Amino acid sequence: MRRSTAAAVGTLFGAALIVGVRLSVSTPVVTAAPTDVDLAGSGTSADPTPSKSGSKKEPTKKPSAAATDDADDAGEAGGGTGLTDGTFKGKGVVNPYGTVQVSIKIADGKITAAEATYPTTGNSATINPGAVLKLKAETLEAQSADIDAVSGATFTSKSYKESLQAALDAAGA
Amino acid sequence: MGTVVSIDLADQLPDDKLTKLVEDTCAWLHEVDARFSTFKDDSEVCRFRRGELTLAECSPDMRHVLDACADLWRHTDGYFDANAAGPLDPSGYVKGWSVEVASARLAAAGSLNHCVNAGGDIRMRGTNAEGSPWRVGIRHPWQADKLSWVLAVTDGAVATSGSYERGEHVINPRTGKPASGLRSVTVVGPDLAIADAYATAALAMGESGITWLAKLGPQGYESAAVTDDGRAFSSAGLPAAV
Repeated sequence: MRRSTAAAVGTLFGAALIVGVRLSVSTPVVTAAPTDVDLAGSGTSADPTPSKSGSKKEPTKKPSAAATDDADDAGEAGGGTGLTDGTFKGKGVVNPYGTVQVSIKIADGKITAAEATYPTTGNSATINPGAVLKLKAETLEAQSADIDAVSGATFTSKSYKESLQAALDAAGA
Repeated sequence: MGTVVSIDLADQLPDDKLTKLVEDTCAWLHEVDARFSTFKDDSEVCRFRRGELTLAECSPDMRHVLDACADLWRHTDGYFDANAAGPLDPSGYVKGWSVEVASARLAAAGSLNHCVNAGGDIRMRGTNAEGSPWRVGIRHPWQADKLSWVLAVTDGAVATSGSYERGEHVINPRTGKPASGLRSVTVVGPDLAIADAYATAALAMGESGITWLAKLGPQGYESAAVTDDGRAFSSAGLPAAV
């Protein structure tokens, strides 16, 4: 459920909702509640499609006041689609990175704007909570190459003499 | 410390200026050694360990190093631990930090193209004498004359921690025993002190370090690791030269 909420909101707004700065080994802490969004000035009355990308027309979370999800019926006056005009907030969805809450605005029975609030503080937030960063496995190479410096485990002064770095330093003199 | 530092200045500057830059860098590194060497009885770190100095009486550099070790202990889930081997020993941080500072001083003094390699931990800026990114080879964990990866870096740091030079010198702070599982860890990123500490911490974690290293990507730190049984791993953003 939370994954599809995030995906729906993501497609409505195009750009990713990633606001956290890094993943860390410690537990993420959201230190401020998400702020409510003012929908009064957003959306256009004639255009029933709030999405920039155009692929979805309504969020997954439905406002409790709406009777149906037929937001793309065209040309009908307010009551015709069953959607009541106004601004509605969906239930906040809590996931480990904070609370995501979707709000929609309905005018003339059509959804004219949609917005989501999301955690803006804390150690981590992600559009895809299930993603795990991994190092990729590869074949261990044993190559020679033209290089300026060697990075290896700290060598002692003794082993330096036989090291690649020493050869480079001698060649550069 | 017993390690060798290689300094490569690629700027077009007069010889006497280049010589002065190298001399100043060496003077800084000697100052660091005098303050932080655990092999010198009269060093500040030894006096602090013996209780002859309180924290408040320590130099600003000492206090910075101890603060940084505390931060890194937290950020590495306790695996970077200046007390892992018993008495306080911030050397794991000091090594990278001293070169990070050396590079900053070189830049402030007019060298924007240089490569400083202290025992395998490298901080570089700009480009080499040919005008290309610095090409850094990661020493193969078994074959001393071969490379496992070749990186191309302009501004940044490369730090490698491994068990093949000084043996099992990295202790797993949880068990108190030498770490095992990983033979070599290389971390690449903006700050050498942090890259060095992360490489050491990952080595201390053993194989689970591979998962931990992956989480450093969003912070700007890429990595490459080889297990004791020869499996190799690297992060998606590792700046490998083609």
